[in-house]
Amino acid sequence: MIRYECLEFLAAKITDQLVVTSQSGQRIEWSHLSKHEGNLLVGMMGCAIGVGMGLALALPHRKVIVLDSDGSVLLSLFNLATLGNLRPKNLAIYVFDNGVYSGSRISYPTATAGNTDLVAMAQGAGIKNAQTLRNIEEFKHKGVEALARDELAFFVCKVEESLMHREIPRPDTDLAENKYTFVRYLERTEKKTIPFISRG
Amino acid sequence: MKDELAKRIVQGLKDAGINFVTYLPETRLSQIVPLIRDDPLIELVATASEQEAVTIAAGATLGGKQAAVYMENTGIYVSSYGLLTVGKQLGVPILLIVGYLGGVPDQRNSFLYATIGSRTIPVLQGLGIEHRVLEDGDKLEEKIRDAVRAANALRGPFALLFAGEFSL
Repeated sequence: MIRYECLEFLAAKITDQLVVTSQSGQRIEWSHLSKHEGNLLVGMMGCAIGVGMGLALALPHRKVIVLDSDGSVLLSLFNLATLGNLRPKNLAIYVFDNGVYSGSRISYPTATAGNTDLVAMAQGAGIKNAQTLRNIEEFKHKGVEALARDELAFFVCKVEESLMHREIPRPDTDLAENKYTFVRYLERTEKKTIPFISRG
Repeated sequence: MKDELAKRIVQGLKDAGINFVTYLPETRLSQIVPLIRDDPLIELVATASEQEAVTIAAGATLGGKQAAVYMENTGIYVSSYGLLTVGKQLGVPILLIVGYLGGVPDQRNSFLYATIGSRTIPVLQGLGIEHRVLEDGDKLEEKIRDAVRAANALRGPFALLFAGEFSL
């Protein structure tokens, strides 16, 4: 399977979930597929799981989805231990693992192309529902069905390298604009004021 | 640090609206951890890295919390990537409560800490993060409140560096 077909299927399922993406191909593809105001397109690697965890803890009644990559998770492996202990029930993490740093344009292999198994690491860190999804049918069933469950989910989606993200338009919303859209959406849907933003 | 100062720090945080704290423990201010843990008005989240602590705090802030990160100043180096990206670039207010080891006012300074302490403020300046050094309890609650207000106004991190009496 390729990442784009997974994201295309997932985008159709989004209602009021909050979606955090890390920097890499999935940020570009997701922004192309979804204009949801609850998207937070974090523009850097290795930060999306942390930001998603913070959102999930701050809003325990709201489902938070993180779209991440193997390279990003390898950059922030400490997240696994914290996730394994906190186990936020409203958080679902999808790691699109293509085994390469495709953003580098030389597609240098990541550790997951070698001996490293992120699911085994997640399980060892205490994440009970950590699974590998190897084809689109598994993604559609095991992966997307997890959105309806009250349990931390960590899916490593084994995808082929795809260059789709280089062919579609890159998002033209800058980080600040995206942040304010996201926060205003939260204020509207949560019916509360976000403290830092309303002090003019 | 005297227990009274620890209590005043935690009360100052609450008075300033802080209701979410991520942390990696250190020595100088460690008495605040059990006080925060036992306080129902503040959610305390243990992390495995200061970099992670910063990103979790940023997410909580975007979700409506008023968040702080408690760390040793070595954590400024560890989390500089997160401070610059989700803190400064994305523009998310976070109060940094920092045990300022190895600075001139650190009462337990030694060769173990001095190099770390001597570069802390230049690194914060390099990151564009404003700071204030606190050496005693004078107007402590007011200074914490000022720091939270400054972080919100700046849309970014603000560091309080605790040394002097806080390092005893």
